[in-house]
Amino acid sequence: MLKITNLKKVYPKSDRVAVDDISFELRPGEIFGFLGQNGAGKSTTIKCLTGILPFDEGTIEVCGYDIQKEPIKAKMNMGYVPDNHSVYEKLTGREYVNYVADLYRVSKQDRTERLEKFLDLFKLRFAVDRQIKSYSHGMKQKICIIAALIHEPKLWVLDEPMMGLDPQSTAEIIAYMREHCAKGNTVFFSSHNLDLVKRLCHRVAIINEGHLIDCFDLAGNEENKANLEERFFKITGTYERRLFEDYVAQEQEEFRPDIDAVSDSEAAADSGFVREAVEESADAPAEAQSKTDAEE
Amino acid sequence: MNTGISWLSIKTLLRLELRSRFGSRVETPVKTHIGRAVNILFTLIVYGILVLGIYYLADMFIVRSELRYEFLVFSTVFTMVIATAVATGNVVKNLYMSGDNELLLRFPVNGAEILIAKSIYCFIHNLIINALLMLPFYIVFGVVTKAGAGYYFASIGVMVLAVLLPYFIANLVAIPVMMLTNFVKNQFLLVLIILIALICAGFILYMTALKGILNYLGEENVSLFSGSMIMRYREVAAKCYPLKWYATLLAGTPYGFSSAEVGLSFLYIFLMTAAVGVAAYLVTVKFYYKTILNGIETEKVSFHRKTPNTCRTVFGTLLHREFYLILRSFNYSFQYLAMAVAAPVMVYYCNDLAATMGKDSVGAAIVPGLTLMVIIIFVAIIVSFASTSISREGNAFYHTKIIPVSYTVQVSVKLFLYAIVATASVVLSCIIVAAAFGTEEAGNLLSPLDIGCIFAISEMTVLSLTCLAIWADVRSPIFNVVGDGELVSANKNLAVSLLVGIFVAVVYGVIAMILGFLPIEIGGFSVVDGLGDVYLILSMVSLVILGISLTMLYVNLDKRYQKIAP
Repeated sequence: MLKITNLKKVYPKSDRVAVDDISFELRPGEIFGFLGQNGAGKSTTIKCLTGILPFDEGTIEVCGYDIQKEPIKAKMNMGYVPDNHSVYEKLTGREYVNYVADLYRVSKQDRTERLEKFLDLFKLRFAVDRQIKSYSHGMKQKICIIAALIHEPKLWVLDEPMMGLDPQSTAEIIAYMREHCAKGNTVFFSSHNLDLVKRLCHRVAIINEGHLIDCFDLAGNEENKANLEERFFKITGTYERRLFEDYVAQEQEEFRPDIDAVSDSEAAADSGFVREAVEESADAPAEAQSKTDAEE
Repeated sequence: MNTGISWLSIKTLLRLELRSRFGSRVETPVKTHIGRAVNILFTLIVYGILVLGIYYLADMFIVRSELRYEFLVFSTVFTMVIATAVATGNVVKNLYMSGDNELLLRFPVNGAEILIAKSIYCFIHNLIINALLMLPFYIVFGVVTKAGAGYYFASIGVMVLAVLLPYFIANLVAIPVMMLTNFVKNQFLLVLIILIALICAGFILYMTALKGILNYLGEENVSLFSGSMIMRYREVAAKCYPLKWYATLLAGTPYGFSSAEVGLSFLYIFLMTAAVGVAAYLVTVKFYYKTILNGIETEKVSFHRKTPNTCRTVFGTLLHREFYLILRSFNYSFQYLAMAVAAPVMVYYCNDLAATMGKDSVGAAIVPGLTLMVIIIFVAIIVSFASTSISREGNAFYHTKIIPVSYTVQVSVKLFLYAIVATASVVLSCIIVAAAFGTEEAGNLLSPLDIGCIFAISEMTVLSLTCLAIWADVRSPIFNVVGDGELVSANKNLAVSLLVGIFVAVVYGVIAMILGFLPIEIGGFSVVDGLGDVYLILSMVSLVILGISLTMLYVNLDKRYQKIAP
């Protein structure tokens, strides 16, 4: 589905090799996680494989088509959701999706059926005929996802897709990733959420300072799943026993700091007082502030 | 919470404003330094030419016509009107439309501190603009009249004093301008129609007035500085209240004004400035915070438009998107669509005036060359918009890379749209000039052959300019966008393509005008004999340039486009 061989990318006017000799292959029907710290080379790799950035060495094949030699065929099989959700904000959501559907030659019947399904799935029906510029961060992310899926791509690439999304939307995307893979398609996404990757992905690759350090199975391999965090911390050079234990503890326990216990009646009285103070402060902020201070 | 004004915050905000405008002190490559030096040199040359023009004007007014005081009055009126227009634009842009208002409001600074910091920046900006506008007039006046050192000090004082009034007026005008802007948001078509009407009306008014003056001078057989005209200048200057007070203050006693008159002028200026200043202060303090909040709140206001799920061809959908992104932006609509529609009107009025003057002074044979020049100039203005075709993709540029459409097709769509609009403009312009100057009543100033050749040459030139503009933007796009993805301001590609367009228009026009009169023979062999030959040569040259432009745009296009990194 996706085959990256010896990929190398150096940005112009930069000495640093952003991605160096990366090779891996994605199989049909799998969800593949791509992990790495900020600046490790995840987004650069994704931008190279989607055709956004030219690269210096290596090859990238999407469904057997070389992204450099046969870019149109390769792109035809791919759907991409960027991390910054940039879209044509002056179009309405529907206009944007129709525009993308036209570019991928999706028939009227198919696009209508899929759009209707996605609008319900992602709860975006109420906003689809509004200009995208009025959308919230999460809504823009959703319209990007719908546009990326309108042609049912064989390879669905997402760059940090869950960032800034509400829990319902995250759950909807996860559910759709599973559904998409069940049809024999592949999902490739970058993430910082180790727990999500552990539970969702069949395989995972970890990149550090432009080098692919590790690529291993998670599905059916309990040991790898159990050790994912430790491996990530060790590979990214941030492993310190104490920090790691803190991280694991945070994952398993509650870690909110202690405060003095307040009874329910006191809390109710406090909130009532605060509400009054806020109302008063609209007219006399200084006065309300001094009153609060005095009370405290 | 401290609600008072902190001067430390204001200082920090002002420094931030200056940094954001002029950048931090970072090491820049030699190429950038050279580019800046060339820009500065070019600006200095243009400014030098303007100062030279002022000198000749001063010579005519002061030395030849003894209109000393009148020169001061007219130059003050002229510069203050321009300063007020510039200041209004500056205040609107920096105080109200600045993209950082939302960001600044998140900091622990209050609205008054932001207002003061931005106002200081605007004031400094206006002071510099005023100095650049006024001082050349005042200094030239001093040089021509051989004024003493005191005059030059006084002129600086008057200049500083003269900054205040335009600045205060600008602050007063900015509020209703912003309210109107917020009110008409998303009324794209209405705004476009209003813009076209305003551009056409303003241009027609200006050209009609200019033609009226020239006709008057021609009919009355008077020159600009005849005895009767000098009397008129004196009468008009005497009535130029309130701005003549600035001239009186500057002219002072050496130019025949009593101390009382000078003192009164100062008093009037002081009272007028204070009154407008207080009004501006009260209005701004009352409405500033509310207006910027309203701007932020309505920034996201959008329209609701239910469209059917229509299928289009790839070419059609790209064209549709490109057009709608232009139509739904005020800036782009104004820069492109409004100008494209207004261009034929401008061509008519410009050509009418130039042809009338040229025909009277040189002869009717000048008209085709003039028409060619005028048409290419106006269409070049429209076409220069194509030089931002890639840059305007802004943050969504990545989209052009991921879609399964070749870059050649994507660029061809842009070229097609700009070519269609420019062609429509050229065709309309040709029809209008043919109807106006090609009839018997008009004296058959343009024959059908002239019109056909003018169309062919203009069209080829316009297509070449469009290709070159897009080529330049593919070569070095500038993705400097704000808000919902609009370019911050015009980039250097736009300026270059505009200059190239005007240069080509002037060269073509001059060649057609001169060679239409002067046959060229080499060794007894006639090279150019009449306009027919000129048309043939220009057509061939245009065809060659078009071929070169298309080659430059399309050869290795995919490779060059792929190299663009957002």
